[in-house]
Amino acid sequence: MNILLSWLRDYIDIQVPPLQIADALMMAGIEVEAIHEPGKHLQKVVVGRILTRAPHPNADKLSLCTVDVGQAAPLQIVCGAPNCDPGAKVPTALVGAVLPSGFEIRVARIRGVESAGMLCSRKELGLGDDHSGLYHLPPEAPVGEDIVKALGMDDVVFTIAITPNRGDALSHLGIARELSALFNLPLHRNSLDDARGDGDIREQTAVTLEEPALCPRYGARIVRDVTVGDSPRWLRERLEKIGIRSINNIVDITNYVMMDIGHPMHAFDLDKLAEQRIVVRRAAAGEKLHCLDGVTRALDPSMLVIADARRPVALAGVMGGEETGVTAATRHVLLEAACFDPVTVRKTAKALAMTTDSSYRFERGTNIDNVPIALNLAARLIRELAGGRPVGGLLDAYPAPPPLRRIMLRTRRVARVLGVDLKPAQIETLLLRLKFEVSREGETLWVGVPPFRHDIEQEADLIEEVARLYGYGNIPATLPTLFSQPVLPTPLQRLTGQVRTAMVDQGFHEIITYSFIPTTIHESLREGPPLAIRNPLSEDQGHLRTSLLWGMIDALTRNIFNDEYDLRFFEIGRVFRPDASGFAREADHLCLGCAGPANPADWRHSKEPFDLYRMKGLLGRLGHLLPVEFEFARGNHPALHPARQLEISCQNRRLGVVGQIHPRFRTNKKLPEEWFVGELDLSALSQLKPRKRLMQPIPAFPAIRRDLAILLPKTATFQDVERIVREAGGEILEKCALFDVYEGKGIDPDKRSLALELRFRAKDRTLKEEEVQPKLEAMISQIATTLGGKLRE
Amino acid sequence: MTDNPETLWHQFDEERRRAASSKDAEALRIKYLGKKGPLSALLKTLGSLPPDQRKTAGEAINRLKARLEQAVEQLIAEFAEREADAALRADLPDPTLPGTVLPMGSLHPVTQIGLEVAAIFLSMGFFLAEGPEAEDEYYNFEALNVPKHHPARDMQDTFYLENGQVLRTQTSPVQIRTMEMIKPPFKMIALGKVYRRDSDITHSPMFSQMEGLVVGENVSMADLKGTLAAFAEKMFGRRPTRFRPSFFPFTEPSAEMDVQCIFCEGKGCKVCKNSGWMEILGCGMVNPRVFEAVEYDPEKYTGFAFGMGIERMAMQRFGIDDIRLLFGSDIRFLRQF
Repeated sequence: MNILLSWLRDYIDIQVPPLQIADALMMAGIEVEAIHEPGKHLQKVVVGRILTRAPHPNADKLSLCTVDVGQAAPLQIVCGAPNCDPGAKVPTALVGAVLPSGFEIRVARIRGVESAGMLCSRKELGLGDDHSGLYHLPPEAPVGEDIVKALGMDDVVFTIAITPNRGDALSHLGIARELSALFNLPLHRNSLDDARGDGDIREQTAVTLEEPALCPRYGARIVRDVTVGDSPRWLRERLEKIGIRSINNIVDITNYVMMDIGHPMHAFDLDKLAEQRIVVRRAAAGEKLHCLDGVTRALDPSMLVIADARRPVALAGVMGGEETGVTAATRHVLLEAACFDPVTVRKTAKALAMTTDSSYRFERGTNIDNVPIALNLAARLIRELAGGRPVGGLLDAYPAPPPLRRIMLRTRRVARVLGVDLKPAQIETLLLRLKFEVSREGETLWVGVPPFRHDIEQEADLIEEVARLYGYGNIPATLPTLFSQPVLPTPLQRLTGQVRTAMVDQGFHEIITYSFIPTTIHESLREGPPLAIRNPLSEDQGHLRTSLLWGMIDALTRNIFNDEYDLRFFEIGRVFRPDASGFAREADHLCLGCAGPANPADWRHSKEPFDLYRMKGLLGRLGHLLPVEFEFARGNHPALHPARQLEISCQNRRLGVVGQIHPRFRTNKKLPEEWFVGELDLSALSQLKPRKRLMQPIPAFPAIRRDLAILLPKTATFQDVERIVREAGGEILEKCALFDVYEGKGIDPDKRSLALELRFRAKDRTLKEEEVQPKLEAMISQIATTLGGKLRE
Repeated sequence: MTDNPETLWHQFDEERRRAASSKDAEALRIKYLGKKGPLSALLKTLGSLPPDQRKTAGEAINRLKARLEQAVEQLIAEFAEREADAALRADLPDPTLPGTVLPMGSLHPVTQIGLEVAAIFLSMGFFLAEGPEAEDEYYNFEALNVPKHHPARDMQDTFYLENGQVLRTQTSPVQIRTMEMIKPPFKMIALGKVYRRDSDITHSPMFSQMEGLVVGENVSMADLKGTLAAFAEKMFGRRPTRFRPSFFPFTEPSAEMDVQCIFCEGKGCKVCKNSGWMEILGCGMVNPRVFEAVEYDPEKYTGFAFGMGIERMAMQRFGIDDIRLLFGSDIRFLRQF
């Protein structure tokens, strides 16, 4: 909303600089987004009248003008514009002026002739792009007057953002009222207007109010014999400066009243109203209205309409109908000023997907007392500016004027909430400045709320008003003295922090991807039905993710397309799945994504590719954060390579998957064949029971080490071997570690060799070779019979 | 040939100074202390001396011998150490060759700032609460004193799920859930993602907020100011803050806190739109209606709440001009943090 300083001065005699006004409003909760002072930088440019024009003696395209600028003698100015016609009034930059372009005017000799100023185009004044000729000013512009004043640029426009609670501030009166409180200045109200006129309105129209709950007050006046035409300059300028297009004098006047006192109005063409009367009712099912914006809208009974005897003629508080609107041919006008229920206006505007200056104000609450004031102000302006004759009186359907709302304010409560000891008299003074009515009973104030302050409903609201005017800056700063119970981080919070550190330590970069996934996502990435968003920004963001895999594959893909191949990403984020009743069940997941080398090649090491086992290791080590031991089994996630994937579980809970991305997602040759992802349910993991950690005594006796290389069919797993070895090794087998896996040259193609490091130790004595040998033999024979393996020679 | 211990020592001393290696020192040892050396020669002269001088001369020669032996040994040890050190230094690595361990990864800038902000409040005795991102409308709106059909709903364009839930538009519903679970006094924060139907270079449909709530028997707006000013000082350094009235349905009075612009020190610049101030957070005293919704006695308890956007702080801190970079997962961007 734009507010004009000169307009504010209709109400308040405020003389402080614009910046100070803006600052005061900001510190009172009214945000000033911009201050526009169009004439601020234009000085020493005046209205000049061209007296004579003669050709320049030494240049074909230049003219030699004499210009009256209100000084004793006319100035001689050389001009290159084609339209420097004698008699024209043009902006004249005097010597010493600095134009917006930075050009400074001096006495100059142009082709041998002295020139003492410059005649200007719009562009040269910074008022637009027109540089075709001089800016011809209106003939009534006084010669010698400062151009800023002559063009009405000596004004200040404040662009103001009003929070939704402050409907009362959506006008010049509203802002002036605020300033009057802030600067403690009197607020003027003009009392020129009354309901006098020719005849009696009650004999010429009628208002039937069928829905007083949705329209507590409806007022109407009639003005006859209007001449619809252009608005006078002052009106046009005021509206245009605040960004409202001038339409015609009648419409401009209703807009003016709205911006002046904050009350939206509407003007009907009286002759076009069936039976020339008004009915305020709900729309009937099936009714339609062709609105002023040219759109025909279907109505329903939840909507309140203004109707004539036959049909709806306006959407109450939102927009008028085109058929009954004011046109050039209109002779008699019925003016409407009313108060509509905010919720109904809002529902109607929302249902029809429209917002108007009117609906915006009604939604935020209007001043019910303004109904007659708006009507009388508009009627007077029409009489003055459109030659109309107001009909006497106003119709005022106002069945139940609300009583003055009174709210109790305990001054002790003010002190307790604000932490500053304000005296009752001080509080009273502050509230009076804000136009509240106050009566004091000891330490309690009874505060009457003016009808424009719909936001003041309870004691806390009054405390805010007191604080606002007292100044938030004047409230001291202290620290709360309360003592509260210690609350530890949840297991998930702790785990999340540890996982983050662990992943960064492994060279992973954290990413944050959107929680949305496309509705067209590949079936294999769905993991069950996702939750759908009713109003997504686009189909690409139509569902909530059920896993982090899609976002990770997308992130890897987009980086690879940017020629970045060395990638290791992790994300920790929420996933959403519907529970049995369709509501979201949420969990925090970790997702890893890797492409490129596992060790970026450096000058000493060559690149090593990521593979399934490295991924397994990266995820597996996270179990130690609790600690728990993960179990890995062959997985069957459809988004992963069918053979190269593992399912992760622990304590009989499935925790996640890890594996190579399914080749179907390699949609472009640029993408690698081997790239990997892993996902872990951190919420589930954090709930697992950690292994108990009890110290084992440090071994006191030496160990015996044996290496075992076993050749066995590829179908036998390491786990099979390990189980046999551990069983046969018994209590004295301290360690069984795999240190080499070999297949290929020199070995039967169906077989591979596993090399194990075994360490035997007894807790209570030095172990003897003879004790170890039978164990080894038992292992070998068991491996031979169960797995078909043998010692590798 | 020398016949005087004194002269002999001087001669040795002279030569010792010229020695440059353990090899030279060894040569000196052989030269002076060897069988054919001047010391042996001197000893042999003893016999030719008169008996009364023999003792004194013998003692002098023995003293010289001990002195020479000690000096030579010391010389040899010095050179040995120096040479061993030189040998160690001979294999000097190039200190500018890069280290060969896997480089560190990085935390996302939003995570970094979120953790930084959280750490400040945790140090003041706050605890970190959690809540769902897909919320019931009640928790996101009604319980926070935002009725249906209230213009305040326009402040946040909401994503609705087909099942009737909403994606939380703020972390404030965590306030309600916390208050339903525990009794005052307490100090809590909540950190997490929120969603609004908005997308351009300064708005993302998903972003992070940090929420705070303090409830007790005599918590005042002065406490709010003190707590948040303390936070601002830790986060932005010692610089002026200001509190402006604002509007949030769940607080009354409501305020916004600005911190003097960290880029122009209040002089006015592009970042602060020439205001000299940076908007940091919204806050206020808990609206008694919110307490009523969670069945806290608004006569007994007062409290304050605050909320701030993490992305904006990260963008200010790191000079990021487009919020979409934060969610683009571009390694060229992430690597910088």
